[in-house]
Amino acid sequence: MIHIDELVIKYGDFVAVDGISLDIQTKGIYGFLGPNGAGKTTTMRALTTLLKPTSGSITIQGLDAIKDMQEIRKRIGMVQQYISLDKEISVRENIICHALLHKVPRKEILSRMKELSLMLGLEKYMDKLILDLSGGWRRRTAIACALMHRPKILFLDEPTAGLDTQSRHILWDIVRDLRDSGTMVFLTTHYMDEAEALCDHIAIIDGGKIIAEGTPVQLNNLIGKVAVDFERGGKVITKTFASRDMAKEFISENIPEDSTYSLRKTTLEDVFLELTGSGLGGVVDD
Amino acid sequence: MIKTIDGAIRVAMADLYYLKRNILTVLITVLVLPLLYFISFAYGLGSTVDETEGVTYIAFVIPGIISLSTLSSCFSTTANKIMLQRRFYSSFDEIILCPVSSISVVLGKSILGIIRGLLCSTVLIVLGLLMTDDFLITPMLLITILLSCLTYCLLGVVAGFLVKGVPTFNLFNSLVILPMTFLCGTVFSVSAMPSFLQVIIAFLPLSHTTNCIRSAALGWEFPWISLVLIIIYGLLFLIVSKYLLDKGRV
Ligand SMILES: Nc1ncnc2c1ncn2[C@@H]1O[C@H](COP(=O)(O)OP(=O)(O)OP(=O)(O)O)[C@@H](O)[C@H]1O
Ligand SMILES: [Mg+2]
Repeated sequence: MIHIDELVIKYGDFVAVDGISLDIQTKGIYGFLGPNGAGKTTTMRALTTLLKPTSGSITIQGLDAIKDMQEIRKRIGMVQQYISLDKEISVRENIICHALLHKVPRKEILSRMKELSLMLGLEKYMDKLILDLSGGWRRRTAIACALMHRPKILFLDEPTAGLDTQSRHILWDIVRDLRDSGTMVFLTTHYMDEAEALCDHIAIIDGGKIIAEGTPVQLNNLIGKVAVDFERGGKVITKTFASRDMAKEFISENIPEDSTYSLRKTTLEDVFLELTGSGLGGVVDD
Repeated sequence: MIKTIDGAIRVAMADLYYLKRNILTVLITVLVLPLLYFISFAYGLGSTVDETEGVTYIAFVIPGIISLSTLSSCFSTTANKIMLQRRFYSSFDEIILCPVSSISVVLGKSILGIIRGLLCSTVLIVLGLLMTDDFLITPMLLITILLSCLTYCLLGVVAGFLVKGVPTFNLFNSLVILPMTFLCGTVFSVSAMPSFLQVIIAFLPLSHTTNCIRSAALGWEFPWISLVLIIIYGLLFLIVSKYLLDKGRV
């Protein structure tokens, strides 16, 4: 569905995206996981035709991101990291303007708006100015806007940054519902648990490069299924193993009887720390 | 053509909702500046000046103030709104992302400015009719006012696309808009200026809108060349803003 080939994006001399190639065929939820400044937003802006790549190519559903820009714009929806709503008009007005811009038939606008406001719990807020809403409600409004024209692919840049736990789970449910109704969702996040809980497929990006790609299970298997946390010299150290038996063997040989340790499944966080190098030697700040 | 206008209205909707919500404040801000010009020049200065270019000063100055206010209200409304939506709300991204042609985007972003410019001109025309018998409403007067509003809105779009933030916006204002306001024969005759300045002034768009509006309002022979120049300026601003948008420089 999305094909990225040797994508490079520079701001002046600074290379923000450094030769990314990806072939995304999944229909479900695709996650871009990376730390601050990794190049997630930059890549997403290129995918949504907001930014021209310095070099390399992007095709979305067989359409070229530069040549067929207008055609792609009809098929995608986007929620930006920094909410891009008109702040001085109401939720309802923002949604209507968005629908008009995307040429949703006038007859459909009201029914679709009702449907989405119900789904996102926005009914009570429809006539409030965006300026008067808290971050979570602004984000829900932005999502309602992005869904008005029934995009085939929805791009969400850090959809849950700054949301409380409850809103976060509500948002996850919304994203899952969208997937189940056939929309492909491409999201970025720097929360490991979010990527693990929500995404069917994940690419880990750091310093403008993809350092790993696969399903959460595949990624976990890259470093082993089992992790052991133990203390040494006042620090918590994590080591990963291919099987439980190997982990047990390590424990009986290396960890003294009286010290504590824990044996658990590896998580994306372990994968991430190990692959980005910040986890070299297995040191985890806890 | 119909598609372009339809697109422009879609683009303008957010601004129109804004206008509807703030109609009172918009009206007040629209009216203050031209009324101040009117009071200080027509009354203040008018009482000390007898005749300018063969008509009473008040008849001379009102068309100038109309021209001036189309520049200031159209330019600042359009440029400010675009700068705000681009740099502070990033809501301009939504417009870039929608399947509407770039000409529609540029024209759509001009609509709020044109409405303000026309509101302002209407009030000044009424004042002109009340204050002096020399002031006439002619078709050419309405056409040139509309054209100058459009031209200055398009200039505002170019500025809104180019500026990086408030400092560059102010720079543009001081280097382009302010000099025009004071030099282009709006409130006194250009013939009083040194000749080298007259040459520069002859190239500025505000000289030509002033020239056209004044001639149309006072029944002088209509300066068709100035009208053509205004249209050329308008097209130039349209092309530049379309270029900036198409090249992704916005
Ligand atoms: N307009 C810009 N001009 C110059 N440099 C930029 C610009 N936008 C981003 N950068 C730089 O490019 C790099 C990647 O930025 P990007 O916004 O894509 O990161 P990100 O992964 O989205 O980070 P975050 O998690 O903080 O949102 C950063 O180092 C940033 O400083
Ligand atoms: Mg980002």
